[in-house]
Amino acid sequence: MTITAGELVKDIDGLVTLPDVYIRINRLLENPNSSTTDIAKAVSQDPSFTLRLLRVANSSLYRFPAAVTTAAKAVSIIGTAQIRSLALAMSVAKSFAGMPNELVSMENFWRHSLYCALIARHLAREARRCDPDSLFTAGLLHDIGELVIFNRLPEQAKDALLMVLDSQDEMQVHEAERKVMGVDHAEVGGELARHWNLPSLLQECIAHHHAVASAKQHPREVALVHLANVFALMAEVDSLDPGDVSPIDPLAWELTGLSDDCVDAAVREAQAEIHEAEQLFS
Amino acid sequence: MATLQDLDRPEPPPVLPGFEHVRRSWNATYASYAARILPGEYYVTKSEEGVYTTLGSCISACIRDRATGIGGMNHFMLPASVKDEPEAWTATGLGAATRYGNYAMEHLINVILRNGGLRQNLEVKIFGGGRVLANMTDVGQRNINFVRDYLKTEKLSVIAEDVGDVFPRMVVYFPSTGLAKVKRLRSLHNNVIVNQEKAYVEQLVQKPVGGEVELF
Repeated sequence: MTITAGELVKDIDGLVTLPDVYIRINRLLENPNSSTTDIAKAVSQDPSFTLRLLRVANSSLYRFPAAVTTAAKAVSIIGTAQIRSLALAMSVAKSFAGMPNELVSMENFWRHSLYCALIARHLAREARRCDPDSLFTAGLLHDIGELVIFNRLPEQAKDALLMVLDSQDEMQVHEAERKVMGVDHAEVGGELARHWNLPSLLQECIAHHHAVASAKQHPREVALVHLANVFALMAEVDSLDPGDVSPIDPLAWELTGLSDDCVDAAVREAQAEIHEAEQLFS
Repeated sequence: MATLQDLDRPEPPPVLPGFEHVRRSWNATYASYAARILPGEYYVTKSEEGVYTTLGSCISACIRDRATGIGGMNHFMLPASVKDEPEAWTATGLGAATRYGNYAMEHLINVILRNGGLRQNLEVKIFGGGRVLANMTDVGQRNINFVRDYLKTEKLSVIAEDVGDVFPRMVVYFPSTGLAKVKRLRSLHNNVIVNQEKAYVEQLVQKPVGGEVELF
């Protein structure tokens, strides 16, 4: 049986919606007349979001020069575009709580996503000329299509995972998904990102993280998420041996200017940060 | 049309009687055929081929005759139904649970010996017993304790192991050389593997193994 990504995402809004605070901030950012005060006001309209935002801003994951004590300070210190990224990152796990599945525990799913987010942010700093906060959000969201597939097509999703195990883990999950249902989680996630009108950087990173060569506008960012996904698997199984995880597309090294010298530090740093990140984002 | 890859690929090696039903496929990494076993199954071979399985909290013992290379792998778990019986998890205990473990171990060893393996040449590697579900009682550790106890009683020494911890595993074993390759699997696979193992245990409880295990 094959199905299109569009069909899978079509009536998703009944199950998952983007948080109001993200939508409000987004609308203000797209309006050239809005000020940082307007954005601070939009943030503080959601007290629980404000509280979590301050916790994130004051955590060791962000080392800002001064304590961030109010929504207004958060907006001026962190920056408006970064607040939008954070609003999405902080609420997406909660949004997807309405999309349960039998195949993967949310805890394990978000741990992989958070590893990818932390590593994508780290690599963005190494590679330069990329916004680390956007890359964090891209890493966190890269596999959201998986949750759609697991919820909507549980039997086929299970067959795809069995196919991976049958192949002695030689076949990758997205390849098995294509064989079984004709679409993969990257394509479905990309369609969802488009449906939600997320920034094009996020759309591309989600849609192409397994196919770097097909990125159009943001090839470097897509390449960073591709690398971060593989390093996240290393962090998860606690191995630095490339033979233990999915292969890296050589184009990703070329596009980012990074080399495999960076693997060790990226993986070890994420392993040191994961506990705190889980407290803040899951 | 045959591709170059197909032409390079030899015919699968002969199968020992009793293992005709086990599915074998070509593995490009090892340039070898490999037999896939599921929970409750085992496979013995005299040929140059691999045996592989995926393990959650189950155990695989990989045993071979180091002189002749005859050997194989099993995949088993003890059902948790009688956990309150003292001694229930030791190999010499007479509780119902251990019967499945004894059965799996004896079958593997007996078939190796029946095909020419010598007991004094046997070498053993053990894998699995992971704590793959956070909220589960540590079934994996019980399985590890059982297999260690069993091997001690049988005076067979373990030359290598990778057991416990939180990961599911993919194990490929080559009896002809003794090479075992273990790959930790990402947690995405936890539930599929755990459900396969659960189905196996439920089937054990419904259809208990009959009779006494034949001892050599």
